[in-house]
Amino acid sequence: MLKSILCVDDDPITLMLCKKVIVKAEFSEEIIFANNGQEAYDLYQSFVVKKDRDAIFQFPQLIFLDLNMPVMNGWEFLDLFKDNLLNEFSQTKVIILSSTIDPSDYQKAKQYQMVSHFLSKPITVEMLQNLKPLYS
Amino acid sequence: MKSKSNIITFIFIITALFLALISHLAFRNNLKNNVENFNSYHFLVDAFLIIGTGILIRFVIARNDKRNIGILKQLQTINTEIKDSNERYDIVAKATSDTIWDWKIQTDEFVWNKGIQGVFGYKNEDVGNSSNWWFDRIHPEDSLKMSVKLYSFLEQKTERWQDEYRFKCADGSYKYVFDRGFLLKDIDGKAIRMIGAIQDVTKQKEEEQRLKLLETVITQTKDAVVITNTDISENPIPNIIFVNQAFAKMTGYKPKEVIGKSPIMFAGVKSDSNELKKLTESIKNYQECFIETVSYKKNGDEYWVNFSMIPVTNKEGEHSHWISIQRDVTKEKNQEREREQLIQELTRNNKDLKQFSYITSHNFRAPLSNLTGLLNLIDDLPIENEELQEILNGFKRSTHLLNETIDDLVKVVIIKDNPSIQKEIVSIKEIFENVFFQLNNQINLYKPIINIDIEDNLSTTINRAYLESIVLNLMSNALKYRSLTKTPKISIIAVEKENSVNLIIKDNGIGIDLGKNSDKIFGLYQRFHNYPDSKGLGLYLVKSQIEAMGGSIEVESQVNKGTQFSLTFKKV
Repeated sequence: MLKSILCVDDDPITLMLCKKVIVKAEFSEEIIFANNGQEAYDLYQSFVVKKDRDAIFQFPQLIFLDLNMPVMNGWEFLDLFKDNLLNEFSQTKVIILSSTIDPSDYQKAKQYQMVSHFLSKPITVEMLQNLKPLYS
Repeated sequence: MKSKSNIITFIFIITALFLALISHLAFRNNLKNNVENFNSYHFLVDAFLIIGTGILIRFVIARNDKRNIGILKQLQTINTEIKDSNERYDIVAKATSDTIWDWKIQTDEFVWNKGIQGVFGYKNEDVGNSSNWWFDRIHPEDSLKMSVKLYSFLEQKTERWQDEYRFKCADGSYKYVFDRGFLLKDIDGKAIRMIGAIQDVTKQKEEEQRLKLLETVITQTKDAVVITNTDISENPIPNIIFVNQAFAKMTGYKPKEVIGKSPIMFAGVKSDSNELKKLTESIKNYQECFIETVSYKKNGDEYWVNFSMIPVTNKEGEHSHWISIQRDVTKEKNQEREREQLIQELTRNNKDLKQFSYITSHNFRAPLSNLTGLLNLIDDLPIENEELQEILNGFKRSTHLLNETIDDLVKVVIIKDNPSIQKEIVSIKEIFENVFFQLNNQINLYKPIINIDIEDNLSTTINRAYLESIVLNLMSNALKYRSLTKTPKISIIAVEKENSVNLIIKDNGIGIDLGKNSDKIFGLYQRFHNYPDSKGLGLYLVKSQIEAMGGSIEVESQVNKGTQFSLTFKKV
């Protein structure tokens, strides 16, 4: 089981579903939520500070990221993360969880090294069971 | 001559009488009254007369002789000249290709030289000897005009006679001839004889007509034709020496306004300098050149001209002229521009629509995925209220159907957007195994008889996901539209044919009335049976996917007998 993961999505129902499925699949001990890219980025900036102060702080090992979000979308978050946070969180992986059908999104995702999967919604227990061996 | 001999006799008598009188007067006084003297007197008178007339005769004879010798010599010279002239005539007649005729007008005797046989093919015995024979062989269309001119000449109203007409050959064909003649007149100036020379000008005439015909190409064509010289010392484009009517019409310039000037005068502000540069370079190198540029008419209007410049050489192979063919392509250019604008607009619209379809799909799918996800979670929760369970089941089935529909629509959208799809080598058998696995529940439920005839190693280069989707669609159709009275039977045959793979899926189901629906069967939202879960998308999707991979599909079906789909894919 993972220690901590971050779910980024503007849809509260999706977040609720994520939480229930993750709990049910026993995928992670802790689940952190963010409503858009900006919130997620702000969180990570606070993690940088905490990480320095608190050696045992568990920052998320995995991010479930939606693409289409207000304020800051998934791509913008990935760009900021890549440019500013990748050194600090080089082990962090991102799973894009989206309803998109645009083929160019799939192509674009391949350009980010930290993106390990591109999955289609909804999140399911089976999906997480398959991912489990890869992240523990 | 008669009068001359009379004169001589007359002079002789006068002279003799005169001498007789002189001698009588001279001797009368000296010998008077003496008989002896009388005899002597008569003798002397006679002797004087004889001597006198003898001297006269001698003088006359001598003069006549002298004159006769002169005449003889003259005759001899004339004779030689005639002989020479005759010889010359014969030689000339032989040497010339002309046919010569000789017409004695009063007696209407008409003589031809051998040309009438050689040139026109008449046999010697066929050639007539009157002027009628000649007239009869002149082309009816030419004879009136010709005879008017000829009689006007014979009546000596005109100085010269020469004419062109068509003359009939022995074989009935006509030759164009050029005939020249002159008149011989008697002392009174009356025309007595006419001699003519006929030249066969058929070849020249035909060449002339050919050239005239060729010329009509230039004069009648709708394309502007400009001919220039090759002198580029003054201007980079040499000066015009000819323009046709179409050029005048196109530009508004009269020929005299442009002849002697360089076509550079038609260029202006909007002319394409690169194109003009290309043209002048080609001219420098004697190379043909084709350009398109804006050009200007006399009234200043601009037009698009399609302009060619082609070098022309003379017989010696020297570069002698340039021929330029020009066409006003303003209309085409405008159409082209409109077309480009339209294409741009359509491309933009298309892109917008595509984006719209992506966003719409996304926005459908996002809440739908929540529904699906939440329903998945319900599965494991115990529900005691039966009515709630029923409601939830309905809720679940509807969600599932909605999900399938949207998935199919999304597939269609993506197929239509991706003309180039990835292909890989796919085993046909493997595809069917995957599909059977997915249809496991239905197969177990309906227990169809499935006959499979696929070679183990049969494979094709294709998009795996598409082929799987196609087979899944067709197989689930075969199950869905099974006969309710017969055991479902499905035959699958896949064979390799030359460079393609042929796949046949045949069932014994309820079939489709192709007579009514042949053009609709692969259409979007076409449903042929009142089944609650048929969406009218399956076969549309199948056809789209097959065609996206360059394949084709055909269907045969009979109501209550079954349906057969035959698919063809290219092997590579």
